[in-house]
Amino acid sequence: MTTRRRVCGVSAARRALVALVPVLVLACGEPQSPTQPTLNWYVFDEPSGAFEAAARRCSELSEGRFEIRLTALPSDADQQREQLVRRLAAKDADIDIIGMDVIWTAEFAEAGWVLPWRGEPARQATQNRIAATTASATYKGQLWAAPFTTNTQLLWYRTDRVKTPPATWSEMIDMAEALGRQGTIQAQGERYEGLTVFFTSLLASAGGSVLDSLGAQPSLEAAATRAALQIMRRLATSQASAPALSTAREDHARLAFEAGDSSFMLNYTYVWPSARQNAPEVAANMGWARWPAVLDGMPSRVTLGGINLGIGAWSRHPELAFQAAACIASADNQRLAAARGGLPPTMASLYDEPEVRTTFPFADVLRATLRDAVQRPQTPFYSDISLAVSRTLHPMRAIDPDKDLARLRERVARALRSEGLL
Amino acid sequence: MERLFWRAGTLIVIGYALLPVAWILSLSLKPAAELNEQRFFPRTLSLEHYRAIFTDSQFPAALWNSLGIALLATLLAVSLAMFAAYAIVRLEFAGKRWILAGALSIAMFPPIAVIGPLFNLWRTTGLFDTWAGLILPYMTFTLPLAIWTLSAFFRDIPWDLDRAARVDGASAWQALRYVIVPLAAPGVFTTAILVFIFAWNDFLFASALTSTNNARTVPAAIAFFTGSSRFELPTGSIAAASVVVTIPIIIMVLVFQRRIVTGLTAGAVKG
Amino acid sequence: MSTRSRSERRLGWLLCAPAVGAMLLVCAYPVLYALWLSLHRYDLRFPEQQTFVGLANYLSVLSSPVWWQSLINTLIITIGSVSVELVLGLALALLMHRALFGRRTLRASVLVPYGMITVVAALAWKFAFDPTTGFVNALLDLDQAWLTQRGSAFFVIIFTEIWKTTPFVALLLLAGLTLVPQELLQAARVDGAGVVQRFWRVTLPLMKPAILVALLFRTLDAFRIFDTVFVQTRGAQDTESVSLVGYNTLIVRLNLGLGSTVSVLIFLCVVLIAILFVKGFGTSFTRSGERG
Repeated sequence: MTTRRRVCGVSAARRALVALVPVLVLACGEPQSPTQPTLNWYVFDEPSGAFEAAARRCSELSEGRFEIRLTALPSDADQQREQLVRRLAAKDADIDIIGMDVIWTAEFAEAGWVLPWRGEPARQATQNRIAATTASATYKGQLWAAPFTTNTQLLWYRTDRVKTPPATWSEMIDMAEALGRQGTIQAQGERYEGLTVFFTSLLASAGGSVLDSLGAQPSLEAAATRAALQIMRRLATSQASAPALSTAREDHARLAFEAGDSSFMLNYTYVWPSARQNAPEVAANMGWARWPAVLDGMPSRVTLGGINLGIGAWSRHPELAFQAAACIASADNQRLAAARGGLPPTMASLYDEPEVRTTFPFADVLRATLRDAVQRPQTPFYSDISLAVSRTLHPMRAIDPDKDLARLRERVARALRSEGLL
Repeated sequence: MERLFWRAGTLIVIGYALLPVAWILSLSLKPAAELNEQRFFPRTLSLEHYRAIFTDSQFPAALWNSLGIALLATLLAVSLAMFAAYAIVRLEFAGKRWILAGALSIAMFPPIAVIGPLFNLWRTTGLFDTWAGLILPYMTFTLPLAIWTLSAFFRDIPWDLDRAARVDGASAWQALRYVIVPLAAPGVFTTAILVFIFAWNDFLFASALTSTNNARTVPAAIAFFTGSSRFELPTGSIAAASVVVTIPIIIMVLVFQRRIVTGLTAGAVKG
Repeated sequence: MSTRSRSERRLGWLLCAPAVGAMLLVCAYPVLYALWLSLHRYDLRFPEQQTFVGLANYLSVLSSPVWWQSLINTLIITIGSVSVELVLGLALALLMHRALFGRRTLRASVLVPYGMITVVAALAWKFAFDPTTGFVNALLDLDQAWLTQRGSAFFVIIFTEIWKTTPFVALLLLAGLTLVPQELLQAARVDGAGVVQRFWRVTLPLMKPAILVALLFRTLDAFRIFDTVFVQTRGAQDTESVSLVGYNTLIVRLNLGLGSTVSVLIFLCVVLIAILFVKGFGTSFTRSGERG
């Protein structure tokens, strides 16, 4: 009796399972229309909608061959990377186009998470581009992404309080201290990527570099590094430093400058349209100049930022994705991103166009800065190096140039060996 | 006098427990412009955050994932634990104590220790970002809790009633269904509640082993909520989402509070 | 008799097999795999390179100030929260034991922190302590940016943990309270012992097993803290707990070798704590005190 019941039980269960399988398969699969594939573009949520518009425009131009769908990533670069790398390491086939921060090129290329650009798409992607932007998408002689937008820092100052902008950092800090309470310098001093950017820019301006030319060993020349560290310490301990410097990111600096009590700010170009909109009285007296130099007579070199477009290695439609990405990075869309989103274009010729020059009245300074821009260390270990640098140098007021030089050398070396907790 | 003391104490405790709930409720009802005022209660009420979280696809997907995954994990864990607990309580076999000890050690386990291997295993077998990828760890990590709780309950069941019923002429199936099941049901139900709460609550596995709406559960989704604009904190949305997932818990706790307390203390008292 | 016991044994194992199988597969196997990974250099950013490095990872972690700092942080949080929870939990248990009215509401409200998702509770308190959106600063008339300084950040984290888990401790202690025989307390009262004396001399010693169980489980839980720290500070201001270091190394940096080393070390710490407890408080355990 019990055996029969058990057998009945088993066969009933088996029948149920068999019935369920097709339901499960249908429910779990995501059908894609064979006629118009959807290409997923993973990029940060650009607030002005310029990226959306670019995606729509390119979908239309494709005449039905593909449709580009934007998937928004968090606005914080670290969080963007965190979400992307986990899925790329899991060989996610849903990722077709990636809005890559310039610092990810080496890492993604080495790990095999993006496809190399070759042939005609590569030619289109590098056409008319500012050299530094192409360099940011290149690793080991190969192109891994199409330069789309770029970004870099300028010196912003109050024209009503400062006659001529300072040429060097010491000059700027002296000027700021002389101005008293209204002479605050706004910069970024939190323990994050922005601090590494600050250090790298100062180091490059002093003639040094983080890694040697092969990218295998730390360079960190003593004189240049000490100069950079001394400036950082002087800034943080000066009367002219912002009180919340050690927790300030770009936005904090922007808001503080817009509040009116500061005279200098080191920040990206997005602060210009923001000030025009949020603090017109400040914007009316806002001037711009090249980032202050470290050494007399040697122009400053600032790190490059921006978005390049990479193609996911497990994309189901790589050829279409290359075409779509090349379209997104084309001149029309760069103009759109500049006009609507305030994102500087990577095509050199666009800086001469009247419309772009209206959006960026500082176009010439910007272009000159981009010409001399320095790359952050192009190594797959960059995220570790960045952590090593920012952890060593935070908070800036506690910097000891000699000890921290040694610490930096040691920690960067360990980061290059993928050793050490961070 | 003493009564007043105890009464005041009770009120304080109730306030203590419900303060954060009231706080997130108030945050969720504050219009965005009022979020940066430091008041506890909102001045005007607004449902905009609730509308926001339900129009975006992220939160409804997370709710569905959480519900489905937690229910399936509970079903599996309780089923497996039921058989094991029955065996432990009613049968004599070698290694019984090892199973209990092993279960106890898993309960004390730091989940972080398995995150890495599971992540690597799941990504190579394709279970990353799937329901199964979460159901398996949830089921395993709640088995100890389930086995211990069920053992404690089962120990109290007069199993001989089953034999008495059989003697009276009932078949094995009838004895099971009409005598044993009603006796065991409360324990099983209580265990299910405790397991469900664990699965519903988990954050570590959910954040490490999922990445999209396919399988991301509510705790992970809430923690990774991005604001609509670059500079805006998604406080209102987070608060609204939190309220939506806490209200059912409160209702469940209100209705089943005696069971839950019994289940939690079952081992401690009867151990 | 022996065939019966043999078939009983077989049935017993059969019924336990699925549960044991699941626990072995999803728990024991990954732990062994983690051990294996910890002996290799395996970084998912360089998926082809997987080299055996022996104990080099352990050397690296154990000589890293990040590890030791996070260990100290974790101990700060553990000791801070468990000590307060024990005292508050005891008070709460006494209240629940003696409550003459509203027992149902009391019990239900005490379970709300237990049932609430930890992430939600952490966010609720994070917002409460936020200098711009929160009410704490307004209430206490302060201008403190709680989560931007190490000391106050620890305070908020520990506060949240205490809020969330005191009810659970209270329930465990309540179970122990109910075991104290009323006759002993009556006898003590007859002998002239006051309320406090009765508590110290009679109730508390008899509750020792329950207290130790609560202490052990809460300590292990607190040591494994992750959700609250992740949500409130993400480890900034030097508040990283050991689990957070493991998560960052494994999931953010995708360094499986180093991360597995951290995981194994955390596992060893937990085992150490458990052993210390059992050795230190010995026999009180074997009698009772299994968590339900």
